[in-house]
Amino acid sequence: MKNVWKPGDARPSRTRAFGWLAQRFTGAGLVLFLAMHFWVQHMPTGFLATAEEYLDITSELAAAEPGFAEAIAEGKIKQALPGEHVITFRKVQQRLANPLWKFIDVMLLLFAVMHGMNGLNNVLEDYVHQPMHRVIVRVSCWTAALLLSAQGVVSILAVGNWF
Amino acid sequence: MQGNSKSSDSLKDSPSFWNFLATVFSYRLWPGMAAWLLHRLTGLFLVLYLALHIMGLRSLADPASFEIYVTTYRNPLFKVAEVLLLGTVAFHAFNGTRIMLQDLFFRSEMHKPLFYAVVGLTAAVTLAGGFPILAPYIAQLLP
Repeated sequence: MKNVWKPGDARPSRTRAFGWLAQRFTGAGLVLFLAMHFWVQHMPTGFLATAEEYLDITSELAAAEPGFAEAIAEGKIKQALPGEHVITFRKVQQRLANPLWKFIDVMLLLFAVMHGMNGLNNVLEDYVHQPMHRVIVRVSCWTAALLLSAQGVVSILAVGNWF
Repeated sequence: MQGNSKSSDSLKDSPSFWNFLATVFSYRLWPGMAAWLLHRLTGLFLVLYLALHIMGLRSLADPASFEIYVTTYRNPLFKVAEVLLLGTVAFHAFNGTRIMLQDLFFRSEMHKPLFYAVVGLTAAVTLAGGFPILAPYIAQLLP
């Protein structure tokens, strides 16, 4: 079981080596990007609204749009607890108005999808041995990666009125 | 990675769900195997979460649906899940860093201490990051 090509293995070993290296590369990038993502979106920093700011934002929006007032009345939009920090559309919009943040978020997305789908493919190839089934698994992973990347990139670029 | 030979010898060879479970539980979980298994399971869970998370980003198209989406995720149960998600990511990141360092930079003989360091760092990050997330919800429960 040295590094030899087997009939069940449709990919040449150089491609597999590239996949191995890419998993290390994207993994290292994700450690940095995800730490930043978590700091920005989950920790009580200025990137999130405080309870008072969230009250201001939601009441302002409710006054401007009837849809918001309805959602608040139905309890679909709830006020923040004392001391809670909430992600809100306006804060995300302000952050993503900066092209550098847009770039960082798009890179995070692409790295995460690449790493995730390559990892999923690696796990499945440990259990799927028939050449044809392996091709199906690989094509499915790539398709999912492309669709998720497209969906995510469009979502990120749309915030801050680029479209 | 050694199986507990006593119980695995007594298993029948027929493939069934119960034999699968019996095999899983007959293994003794050594740190090396725990690291491999946990990396794999956390990885699979994170791919699933990533897909759901990216679908959720569609709500960014409209401020009202984004606020509704975020309110759903502020349910106390989701807040606990958020802390568990942090733990999952932290484990995968620290264990992945350990694998990368050993693959690319050095061959350490201290496999077990390094894995225990990963577990310790994961616990530390989960507690440090989880506290500010849950603090307002805990404060609400207190009289």
